[in-house]
Amino acid sequence: MLQLVDFVARNRFFLVFILLEVFSGWLIVRSNSYWGATYFNTSNYYVAKTLAFSNSAREYTRLGEINSDLANENARLNALVATLSQKNAKDAPAGYVPDSAFNSRFTYTVAKVVDNETNRANNYITIDKGSADGIEPDMGVISATGVVGKVRFCSKNYSIITSILHPQFMVSSKLVRSNEIGTAKWPGKDPNFIDMVDVSRYTKVYKGDSAVTSNVNSVFPPGIMVGKVKSVTVHPDQTFYNIILELATDFRNLSYVYVVKNRQLGEQETLKQRLGDRQ
Amino acid sequence: MSLREAIQYSLMVILYLLLQIFFMRNMVLFNYAFCFVYIAGILILPAEISRMYLLFIGFAIGFTVDIFSNTFGMHAAATVLIAYLRPFLIHYQMESKGADRVDIGIRSQGIGAFLAYILPLIFIHHSMLFLMEINNFGMILHTLLRIAASTLFTMLMIVLLELFSRR
Repeated sequence: MLQLVDFVARNRFFLVFILLEVFSGWLIVRSNSYWGATYFNTSNYYVAKTLAFSNSAREYTRLGEINSDLANENARLNALVATLSQKNAKDAPAGYVPDSAFNSRFTYTVAKVVDNETNRANNYITIDKGSADGIEPDMGVISATGVVGKVRFCSKNYSIITSILHPQFMVSSKLVRSNEIGTAKWPGKDPNFIDMVDVSRYTKVYKGDSAVTSNVNSVFPPGIMVGKVKSVTVHPDQTFYNIILELATDFRNLSYVYVVKNRQLGEQETLKQRLGDRQ
Repeated sequence: MSLREAIQYSLMVILYLLLQIFFMRNMVLFNYAFCFVYIAGILILPAEISRMYLLFIGFAIGFTVDIFSNTFGMHAAATVLIAYLRPFLIHYQMESKGADRVDIGIRSQGIGAFLAYILPLIFIHHSMLFLMEINNFGMILHTLLRIAASTLFTMLMIVLLELFSRR
């Protein structure tokens, strides 16, 4: 017993060191597996307030760009209203009548970016809307220019978004001209470019073609811009293209985002769950 | 340590933290060089401080930075590591000089000894931090470049701040 006490006393620095390291390790591992509300991150009220304060100064320098983005978006929306008022569901067969609940399944909440990371290996964005505004984890987030990410944590007034600049985040996207579906995934280097994988090499892919979110996506509305094809390469021994997209959203200037709520997501997921149960 | 010194050093740690959280968080050169200037708060504490305090201060500093950058525990782990290794390095420097006490600081140590003290610790801290963040092994070259660039950048920043601070 005395020996034990002696051992602890002699190695107390090392033991405390190991203890603290294990505790930090536990925090990291837990954050990867446990997706519930945690307290020690930027969705914490006071932390977010502080960051918002430091962000507000920088925002004034970007007002010009914010304005032009909003103006562009207005133009795009006006064009969309015009096309929609003329025809519904243009690529659907003649007999298909869309359910009105299905058509209006997406609702949008505007939120302001409080904190924004672009240069790390795993990037997160903090916004100033939380569970009090009806935001829940796993909702999609878009901006005036394109896809932004997915909600990960919510506190009462703030949320943290896994940015598309996060290697574990994938978006099912579609190339507009070649009508080909693939997955967009950030390789982890440059915040301007993103990879698109799983596009079969037996179709033609055009340079400069737009990649938008696909119809099979349940988080994002279809047709939201992801990026433009910058380069297409193909390895002789592979069946898929290596496509690099130039991201539509400039993440360094992100100021306002829209959180997308899919009101039928729960229903859709429950159906899928039943499929899983039966197998 | 007198009360005055204690207050002085705690203010310094807080200042470095504020600097990190408000300014250095957004400052990245060429997408490679990051600046984690807050570790100066651990590096510049006086040599005779208790090792136990040092570990806990290191953890507190790292954890604060973690909260503000959504890294959950990575900064804490890296900072605790250098807080643990720091006394060994100081001890080694004292022995090689034959002195029985050492004052940490660019003026009292001289630029050579000061760099020989901070550079290994910054390098260890950054290596640990970036290697923990790495997602796939294909990024290793990119990460090594980041470690090297960030080590230089942080070192430069700490030396500059140290030169301009008067104590």
